[in-house]
Amino acid sequence: MNKSGKSGAVARGFRLGKLGLSLVGSYAGYQAQNLLFGESTRAQRQARFHQKASRRVRDELAALKGPAMKLGQLMSMQTGMLPEEALQELATLQMRAPGMHASLARAQFKSSLGKYPEEMFREFDPEPFAAASLGQVHRAVTRDGEKAAVKIQYPAIRSAIENDFKLLRSATLPGQLSGHVPAALLDEIQRGVLEETDYLREADNLEFFGKGLSGLEYVAVPRVRRELTTDRVLTMSHIEGGTLSDLLKRKPSQAFRDLLGARLIEMYETQIQRLKALHADHHPGNYLFQPDGRVGLVDFGCVKRITFDVLELRRCYRHRTWRESEASARRFLALAYGRSVPYARARKILPITEKWCDAFYPQDVTADIVIDFRGDSKLDSKLREIRQQMRKRLLQDKLIDPEFAFVIRADLGLHYLLRELGAKVNISEVWRRVAAAAAGVGPG
Amino acid sequence: MSSLIFNMKRKTGGAQARATRGKRVKNKENTRKAILRAALELFAEKGFYHTTTKAISRKAGIAEGTLFNYFETKEDLALFFFEQELVEIIEWYERDRRMKRAALAEKLFAIIHQFLERLAPYEEFIGAVYLRALAPASKLSPWSLQTQERNLRYLRFIRGILAEAEAAGELPSVGDFGAYAFGLFHLAIITYWLRDRSRGKEQTLALLDRCLKLGAHVLRKGGWDW
Repeated sequence: MNKSGKSGAVARGFRLGKLGLSLVGSYAGYQAQNLLFGESTRAQRQARFHQKASRRVRDELAALKGPAMKLGQLMSMQTGMLPEEALQELATLQMRAPGMHASLARAQFKSSLGKYPEEMFREFDPEPFAAASLGQVHRAVTRDGEKAAVKIQYPAIRSAIENDFKLLRSATLPGQLSGHVPAALLDEIQRGVLEETDYLREADNLEFFGKGLSGLEYVAVPRVRRELTTDRVLTMSHIEGGTLSDLLKRKPSQAFRDLLGARLIEMYETQIQRLKALHADHHPGNYLFQPDGRVGLVDFGCVKRITFDVLELRRCYRHRTWRESEASARRFLALAYGRSVPYARARKILPITEKWCDAFYPQDVTADIVIDFRGDSKLDSKLREIRQQMRKRLLQDKLIDPEFAFVIRADLGLHYLLRELGAKVNISEVWRRVAAAAAGVGPG
Repeated sequence: MSSLIFNMKRKTGGAQARATRGKRVKNKENTRKAILRAALELFAEKGFYHTTTKAISRKAGIAEGTLFNYFETKEDLALFFFEQELVEIIEWYERDRRMKRAALAEKLFAIIHQFLERLAPYEEFIGAVYLRALAPASKLSPWSLQTQERNLRYLRFIRGILAEAEAAGELPSVGDFGAYAFGLFHLAIITYWLRDRSRGKEQTLALLDRCLKLGAHVLRKGGWDW
């Protein structure tokens, strides 16, 4: 094994970490270690890395804010790329991160809108009530008396992101060459992050989803106040509700959990099937739960339009179409992993895909699929194993189609949410409802 | 009777003279301010280089010759401008209730930001003056005799704020050096701000915030974790 070359990459990874991109830096280091050590040492190192990384992620990302924070958040949904321990730390970051002090938030507001917030609102709370990925959110009351949430972006975030990615690219070059950090994935993350810096785009997204989800009477999407919005300040109506952990603290009944679970899935399915777009970060912080079962959706910064046929992909999963012939296997793989990946490499994923489908898409098509998301430890470890194998294959054979990676991330995000919620859901019924709504019958 | 009247006249005359002298000083101060106001308006409107002393005196309602009694050069005008700004910023700081509770980094941020906000309408003027201030013989140079009083007032102001933070345990003892260092940082930020072409000069905001946070961190930890 070429030790000096690999440890050079490790060193570089850690040095980069010190520059502020600590998460990415140590990840590169960790990946390099994986290649260096045998199983037992690796397990020890891995545990140590997880703890160290989690701590560092929490401390430094929270302190730095901005791009690194956003990267951390994106990667936290990138379940394949990060260990569970780090994920848990990241999940706590998402809602509460320190940000701009009142004077900076005011200054940035004025820099963008030309006036101070107190000149444009009836009331404006200088203390933020939530951290947004690239800024923070303040409570306000508009001149006409509407309760509003004002999202203010940290100044000059765009150029900071561009710089960070330049650094990240050069530092992860070894990882890119070895395929451990796919360049396409970096592109995808950068695109997503940069897109999120434009709040006007987010305003468009809010309006698009507000309209598209209006058929689901329990969904609340904030309304944009265009006259108080720029690319760096977004003013929208305030949505009531608490986070998932707030909800769980009240120990909701199983029936309520199941209802919410079904609603979350229906929202998700409506998005991918009918709107052909996904409210991006399916992480707990972006859902607000109200005691009456209404669900608020916030943060539409990073919306993903879907061009591939999700329903067709599902049909393939259910009928295991790749077994039929080589042609249908090719069709399935092109659908799932993009057309650029050679068939010979892509087909290696099929055995793992079969295992994956056994867990989620039973072949018995006559019965409804009911998934119990209340942590079944046996199923969990099985899924984790499948996921690990899948990750290994995906990385080794560079099977990352950015769009598919995104949907997997969103899928996993939703799955994680439902697990936390502990719901039991008849998915087939939800699918039927969505299909009926699409056919114009209307939900319910 | 006549002497009485005379005495009375003398008395009232003395009081009047004192009042007139006070009034004259006040008038003089008011005229200075009026000239500065007129000049700043013209700078904002026509630009620093295109504003003539004639136009300034006309706008301020005084004879052009009188103008030179108050300000010999545009540099003197700038000196007076900065003095006024400093006085007003110290007043603002002492009035502002939020500042009392804010953390040190926010206080210092707000002070520099207040300065920049006040300079913003006269950016070209400040830019021109700034270039001149670099000349060793300039009255505006931070080391010139003419700026010493203002500098000392500024340093005392900042030192007071740092001393409060030291007393509150927010900061290790930095002594007078802290205020000097902050003053230099302030100048550097103004230079950056003048060159900042980003929208709403948000790059300056980011730099200011990051530097102050980093500075506070370094001072607290007694070093920089390379």
